[in-house]
Amino acid sequence: MTSESRPLTLAPGWGAALLTSTAAAKLGAGALLLGIWETGVRAWAPAYVARPTGVIAVLPSVLGSGAFLSAAAATLGSVIEGLGIALLLGIAMGIAMGRSFVVDRLLRYYVFGLFAMPMVAILPLITLWFGYTDGARLATTVFAAFFSIVLNAADGARAVPLEYLEVGRCFRARRLRVLVDIVLPASMPYLLAGIRLAAARALIGAVVAEFFISVNGLGFFILFNSRSFRHNQAIVAVLVLAGGGVGFEALVNWVTRRYFPWYRRDEKPR
Amino acid sequence: MTAKRRACGWLITSLGLGAGAATWEIAGRSVGAAFVAPLSETLVRLAGLARSGELWHALASSLALFAAGFALSVAVGVSFGLLLARARLLRVALESYIAILNATPMAALIPFILSLMGFDFAPKVLVVFLFAVFPILYNTVEGARSIRSELIEVARSFRSTERALWRDVLLPFVLPFALTGIRQAIGRALVGMIAAEFFLSASGLGMMLQSAAQSFDIATIFAAILLVTLLGVALMELGGAIERRCAAWRNLAK
Repeated sequence: MTSESRPLTLAPGWGAALLTSTAAAKLGAGALLLGIWETGVRAWAPAYVARPTGVIAVLPSVLGSGAFLSAAAATLGSVIEGLGIALLLGIAMGIAMGRSFVVDRLLRYYVFGLFAMPMVAILPLITLWFGYTDGARLATTVFAAFFSIVLNAADGARAVPLEYLEVGRCFRARRLRVLVDIVLPASMPYLLAGIRLAAARALIGAVVAEFFISVNGLGFFILFNSRSFRHNQAIVAVLVLAGGGVGFEALVNWVTRRYFPWYRRDEKPR
Repeated sequence: MTAKRRACGWLITSLGLGAGAATWEIAGRSVGAAFVAPLSETLVRLAGLARSGELWHALASSLALFAAGFALSVAVGVSFGLLLARARLLRVALESYIAILNATPMAALIPFILSLMGFDFAPKVLVVFLFAVFPILYNTVEGARSIRSELIEVARSFRSTERALWRDVLLPFVLPFALTGIRQAIGRALVGMIAAEFFLSASGLGMMLQSAAQSFDIATIFAAILLVTLLGVALMELGGAIERRCAAWRNLAK
């Protein structure tokens, strides 16, 4: 979080007032947006279109249904699994690129090219390779997440202060120890920024893959329910996806603030 | 970097690219025509598609979609972000919602857009717009949040007009953040473009991929993917170059 641009000349007691007014503004805006949505849909849209009261009405039954829970577990599980795989491989490859001139020159165009390629484009290929299975979705999430992790890990490993490495060399640290104990922690802030972007990309990848290959999951749940005019039910799945995205981002931000407090967010996430 | 090191770097890079090309070719020939099209076949197909005009037609159609959606999201994202930079209450009220929407996979909304808006050009533009606008808005608001209030107070003390305040304080301060958002949005907009072409009315490169996949025409799939990748690299390089050029003062602003 960057500093709030708030005048510092307020009398005591004003801080609390300002805080409550901030919360009031947020809540007020939220209520207003929901109100606009509700009245807009009631006034102009067909009856099956989702609106807040309708979503709330179906919320308990959807959240209680086994089909929905298994869909949520499938999608979020595959995102987490994909991120995990991408993280392990991506960190290794990124650090190798960041610390070794040869590796960097060998791989840079491949990594940037595949990073720039929209992952949706390889879905036809992935379905040919993996079939219409869970594996295809996992491959999509890994692919979506991997390259932004590599790029950011490499940036981080390149930005390790030279002094740290010199100290390591003075103590005759072995190469592996230098990588694990100096390079990895020092490049962590970049890596976390990369993970944040990778998580967003993996989530998009999982949803789009489910649309494409019709495998059980939240994306397919949305597709199926919206096609059968149950938009309220489908919106619940969108909310869970949003919750997943926000939750993961909050987790990464918390880790950054807690363990890397010196890091400024705007340093250069790709 | 010394000239010798640079030359060495280029040598390694070209060796790497050569090895990659060779691997692709060999993999294509040995794994089987149903899985991988060799590089040579891919390039021949790409040239064939270019000669028949099919490629330019698809590219133009996709780029029109990208341009329309992206222009819209830049216009809305930057101007709304600037407004939030000036109107503090509005920013405080809305910034959490912008962060939430930025973290939400907008792909999830495609089925709703399909069922409400059908198969026109407009819903596809909306998809690209939704994919791209939130990174722009989010980063612009991030910039707006970090404007030091002294800057605005000083401008006010000198009885700066509202117009001058926007031109000389807000815009230069927020622009670098907006450009970071715009650069991030390029990748998202490309994903949105292909997704829209897959799942809404088929057109452009998305349709080319889709129909090639249906007829197991692996060489065309590879050709289309190669083309999309080159497009992505070109657009991202462009975004990065603009950001570097126009945001040089960013680190001074802190």
